[in-house]
Amino acid sequence: MGKDSDQTRSQSGISRRNFIGTLGAGALGAAVAGPGTATTQEAQSAADGHLVVALRVNGRQVRAAIEPRHTLLEVLRDQLELTGTKPGCARGECGACSVLMDGVPRYSCMTLAAEADGHEITTVEGVMQGEELGHVQQAFVEHDAFQCGYCTPGQVMAAEGLLRRSPNPSIEEIQEGMSGNLCRCGAYAHIFKAVSRAAELKRGGEV
Amino acid sequence: MLPNFTYERPGSVDEALEHGSSEGAVLHAGGTDLLGCLRDGVFSAKKVVSLSGLEELRGISPTRDGGLRVGALTTLTGVASDPTIAERYTVLAQAAASAASPQLRNQGTIGGNICQRPRCWYFRGDWHCLRKGGDTCYAIAGENHFHCIFGGSGCYIVHPSDTAPALQALGASVRIASRSGSRTVPIESFFLLPADDIQRENLLEPGELVTEVLLPPVASGTRSVYRKVRDRGAWDFALAGLAAVVTMPGDSVETASLVLSGVAPKPWRAAEAEGALTGARLDAETIARVVAASVAGALPLEHNGYKVALVRGLMEETLRALA
Amino acid sequence: MKYYLEWPEPDPTNLPPPAQDIEPWGETRVVGKPLPRVDAYERVSGTALYTLDMALPDMLHGAILRCPHAHARVTRLDTGRAQAMPGVRAVITAATPGAAIPWYFRGQGPTSMLFDEHCRYAGDEVAAVAAETPHQAILAARAIDVEYEVLPFVQDDAVALTPEAPAIHEGGNILGQETSGRGDVEAGFAGADVVLEQTYHTPCEIHTPMETFVTIARWDGNRLTVWDSNQGVFGIQANLARALRLPLTSVRVICNYMGGGFGSKLGLSKYTVIAALLARTTARPVKIALTREESFICVGNRAANTIKLKAGVKRDGTLTALDAVFLGSGGAYPAGATSTYLVQALYLCPNVRVEDNEVYTNAGPSRAFRAPGMPNCAWALEQMMDALATEIDMDPVEFRLKNIATFLQINDTPYTSIGLRECLSDGAKAFGWSEARARPRGRGHVRRGVGMAAGMWAYPGDPRATVIVKLFADGSVNLNMGASDIGTGTKTVMAMVVAEELGVPLDRIQIEHADTGTTQNAPSSGGSQTVLVSAPAVRAAAIEVKRQLLELAAAQLERPVEQLVFQDGEIMPADAPDQAVALADLRGLRGRQVIVGVGRRHPHPEGKIALPFAAQFAEVEVNILTGEVRVLRLVAAHDSGRVMNKLTYENQVFGGMAMGIGLGLTEERILDSRQTGKVVNANWHDYKIPTAKDVPIDQTCVPIDPHDTECNTTGAKGLGEPAHIPTAAAIANAVYHATGVRVTDAPITRGRMLSALAERRGE
Ligand SMILES: Cc1cc2nc3c(=O)[nH]c(=O)nc-3n(C[C@H](O)[C@H](O)[C@H](O)COP(=O)(O)OP(=O)(O)OC[C@H]3O[C@@H](n4cnc5c(N)ncnc54)[C@H](O)[C@@H]3O)c2cc1C
Ligand code: FES
Ligand code: FES
Repeated sequence: MGKDSDQTRSQSGISRRNFIGTLGAGALGAAVAGPGTATTQEAQSAADGHLVVALRVNGRQVRAAIEPRHTLLEVLRDQLELTGTKPGCARGECGACSVLMDGVPRYSCMTLAAEADGHEITTVEGVMQGEELGHVQQAFVEHDAFQCGYCTPGQVMAAEGLLRRSPNPSIEEIQEGMSGNLCRCGAYAHIFKAVSRAAELKRGGEV
Repeated sequence: MLPNFTYERPGSVDEALEHGSSEGAVLHAGGTDLLGCLRDGVFSAKKVVSLSGLEELRGISPTRDGGLRVGALTTLTGVASDPTIAERYTVLAQAAASAASPQLRNQGTIGGNICQRPRCWYFRGDWHCLRKGGDTCYAIAGENHFHCIFGGSGCYIVHPSDTAPALQALGASVRIASRSGSRTVPIESFFLLPADDIQRENLLEPGELVTEVLLPPVASGTRSVYRKVRDRGAWDFALAGLAAVVTMPGDSVETASLVLSGVAPKPWRAAEAEGALTGARLDAETIARVVAASVAGALPLEHNGYKVALVRGLMEETLRALA
Repeated sequence: MKYYLEWPEPDPTNLPPPAQDIEPWGETRVVGKPLPRVDAYERVSGTALYTLDMALPDMLHGAILRCPHAHARVTRLDTGRAQAMPGVRAVITAATPGAAIPWYFRGQGPTSMLFDEHCRYAGDEVAAVAAETPHQAILAARAIDVEYEVLPFVQDDAVALTPEAPAIHEGGNILGQETSGRGDVEAGFAGADVVLEQTYHTPCEIHTPMETFVTIARWDGNRLTVWDSNQGVFGIQANLARALRLPLTSVRVICNYMGGGFGSKLGLSKYTVIAALLARTTARPVKIALTREESFICVGNRAANTIKLKAGVKRDGTLTALDAVFLGSGGAYPAGATSTYLVQALYLCPNVRVEDNEVYTNAGPSRAFRAPGMPNCAWALEQMMDALATEIDMDPVEFRLKNIATFLQINDTPYTSIGLRECLSDGAKAFGWSEARARPRGRGHVRRGVGMAAGMWAYPGDPRATVIVKLFADGSVNLNMGASDIGTGTKTVMAMVVAEELGVPLDRIQIEHADTGTTQNAPSSGGSQTVLVSAPAVRAAAIEVKRQLLELAAAQLERPVEQLVFQDGEIMPADAPDQAVALADLRGLRGRQVIVGVGRRHPHPEGKIALPFAAQFAEVEVNILTGEVRVLRLVAAHDSGRVMNKLTYENQVFGGMAMGIGLGLTEERILDSRQTGKVVNANWHDYKIPTAKDVPIDQTCVPIDPHDTECNTTGAKGLGEPAHIPTAAAIANAVYHATGVRVTDAPITRGRMLSALAERRGE
């Protein structure tokens, strides 16, 4: 495996294979994780009120039959099974659910799925380059910019959005730009460093 | 959990007005306030009418009189980062930038920001309070740390918007469309006090919608600033804020517009303070007079007395900086 | 008092002595390095599965009906309407067979049940529903018809103490009253040059981890498997088995990735039992995920404290007496409310008296919250120390240096090591304390000031942990340990211990953890004990593997074991490195395919106690016109023994301080005490935890390692809790330094700051 991981070593140096050994009990989790049942049953009872939305999610065109009240967060997690995007509060107060819509960060819990119709959605799964980590993610690893990691996908998306808008932010701009994402573990100090580093990586700096 | 509703996304203002006039219809701009209200059962909706398809409500453009038109669907980020607004209507750019969080500003619109519902925790929580049609204002005898010190009667909410006081200080007006036509209302008279109507914060009737905000031209030499104080560094409404627009061609103040946020059920014009400031030299004596005048008539509740000191402090700090 | 639900008293007497004599580490090659986490990839890529992300085939969703009144009795309950709602598969109440589970205990007997008709706070569980979708479950729970007899309630701690207060549990509202201490405080005060007295107040804080509280329960015949977001699977398993009257073998609890707990997920909660009951009733898996609002109301908090403290000091800086009265309430079902520990232990003082009062109130239950009771106690003690220093005109650091206790005065036990002196002096140096203190504080409306506070943590850990390390034929390793990784980097640190001992690269170590079905008993991840309890067990297991490998190599090389050395995954004779054998080439290993090493944590050293110490320094800016307080920078000097991983260590310290900023400046649960008794700010907007803009960019961590060879075989002491203890007090002291105003009620909101300033101006 040592050799194997050398061969698959990505540009970023961090690919899934290097890490797979540590999955441990996670394998069990993966075996039982499946689609949420949240929507199918109700779908029948309210079939008439359904809408069909066309989203581009992480570069893939998807169509989903949704109820008007479904949020983008619910559709991403329960229908598309993209559980990287996390619910924290479901009312715009934590940022765990942050995604990019047309490249701009917003809260998927405060976005009706119907509103995302026709838009380009990027989730944490979508900033990966294949199985390699994106720049922001790589910087988060390097600087240990998380503890429990639950807020992390949201932080990564906020940082990604920030850097797309402002490729060379000052540390104060980073602080401001990341102020829509709570981290109860309080990894902020490392998050600031990681976002700075990510900017460097994105600008083609030292990898 | 959001309750059930139907969803429409009309393509024209007329269509939107049509849908908006049906019973139980609510308007959805960015949705950042609306969805919270629906989720918490603050009010209910049969139909959500999305404005996001109305391209004509977007964008910022100059008006013929030299002012600026800001489409109601312009996001707060759009307002805060517009170079013209930042330069000439600084108070508005600063107010927009100080609201909520970056993501909410990317999504929330200026129209929604001035029309958002109050944040009183009794109103938002599961208390059937006066504003929701009940018979008690729980804030009177309850936890009123964040409630109003001016303009309360029966109900003691504060108006939540940061942009509204800035707009009012700038003398902006809002354009309102309804099925019977459209009208322009100075923002000053757009907002209502509980004494006017205890269940509404503005004069919009069901089915009406704000299409744009109109900013008058600014006189050269106008200085404007929005200063907001909140309990935490981001994502927090104003405990109190001050939108100040002042012209001072020479040594003394020619015009002064001082509008407070976070202290009253609507953006609160500190009229006595404006009076004390207009025509005066901006020296220590004037500042002391203006500061004292700024809290004239304040009626704090049990836990919000600090807001009196805060308004004084804000006024003093801001005027000193302008001096 | 004791947070008894979660932490058993360590009982080293019943532990076997260490199997091997393990030498302390000298220079380490892996341990201590700033290595990224072994599970970093999963956490940043979104592939880590948290319990909330999981779904089982055919799974139902549960919701709980909670009492809306602060104190009430259920007089009628009708589930008919709810049963008939779409998608509903079960409704359970107190009357459901098997649901009569005693829940809260007082003295010998239970005083309440899982679903109790006597509801003691707004949020108490009344009934529960399982339905096909979460929405349906919530709607059905709301459709349960309940009539309540509304009772008078009490939420004020002092009022709850009085005989007229409504009784919350049988036997009155006094949960505990205890006085302890040493010496003669009156004599101490008589001998003091300065005596100060002050009352301090700290708020009720809510843990609100980012991942909410969530359980998935599934029965397989008589066996129950529970995926649950928690901090210690074995404690949950034991309590769940007890509640359901099942043998341990019938209850399996699993928690892989979890999104934070801070103490709130240490113990078994009702929702987990309820999920198990619903799953049994419906014969389908049931998931219960509490809403964010519920997470504020019914799964724990840090109790508010009122602390009256009187202290005496001589002009030369000698403390002569400390006298403190504590009052706190852990709500209706407390798990502790106060901690008098720092007053009793932190500083050398011959005369100490502490009176501790804990009462029941009609409010949400307390749970251990990161250093239970201690930041509150520090808020009082460390502000008092600061005030005393001012009175005797002595530098606060110097004053503390004068009063360091070298042994635990509560039971006259010496410490295995104490780096408090270095924390104070090295921390002060890193901060530039003397220069910063001498700098002008500003004459305009923005004032600057610096402050500091010290602290220590009280719990040496429950030393029971068993770990298994398996080495496979190719030299890769499986680490099997029961400990949870709650975000502190447990998996990473433990893998580094294995790597240190066996020379295996981290990416060749597979980790199984926190699963009662497949891993070995370990104490829960709370009380800052995980590293210092589990790491020595991991080390022992790895060394046992090494011992067996050396035996295999001895046979192969025909040399006695004593002549062999183990280095970089190879074994060689010390005098003939050219004869080195790679592990994979060991014939004995290839024959067996696996070497299994079992390691146990050794008992605590006899007659000594190992505890961590800390000193933190803050610089703040206060706007005296608006009451705004901004933390400009923080320096934390910690003696937590050996630094196991520099990155995760620092992160832990910064995180503890961020939470301390919350206590100091923003966090506070507010009850509608005079009307409905409900929490008015049960959400993240109204309950304000610090954001990225509330923490300073400038933060420094100064690790102090006293090279403790006695505490355990790794030399590490606890870190998670001490990182949080002094911060708020240090900020308050800096605010005083900046303004001359002491804010004794936490948090220092803009409003409190302004009121305190106005009071001083005599308004
Ligand atoms: C956690 C949080 C913190 C916040 N902090 C702040 C803050 O500090 N300062 C601040 O100012 N705001 C704050 N906000 C509010 C936020 O800025 C508003 O939610 C946002 O500006 C509203 O815009 P929107 O387009 O999303 O409105 P929506 O949610 O779509 O609409 C809000 C309301 O206005 C009505 N409405 C919207 N557009 C129109 C229109 N064109 N004509 C007529 N009616 C209309 C809707 O029917 C609805 O009732 C906060 C919000 C949240 C959730
Ligand atoms: S879940 Fe969307 S902001 Fe919290
Ligand atoms: S890493 Fe745990 S909440 Fe941010």
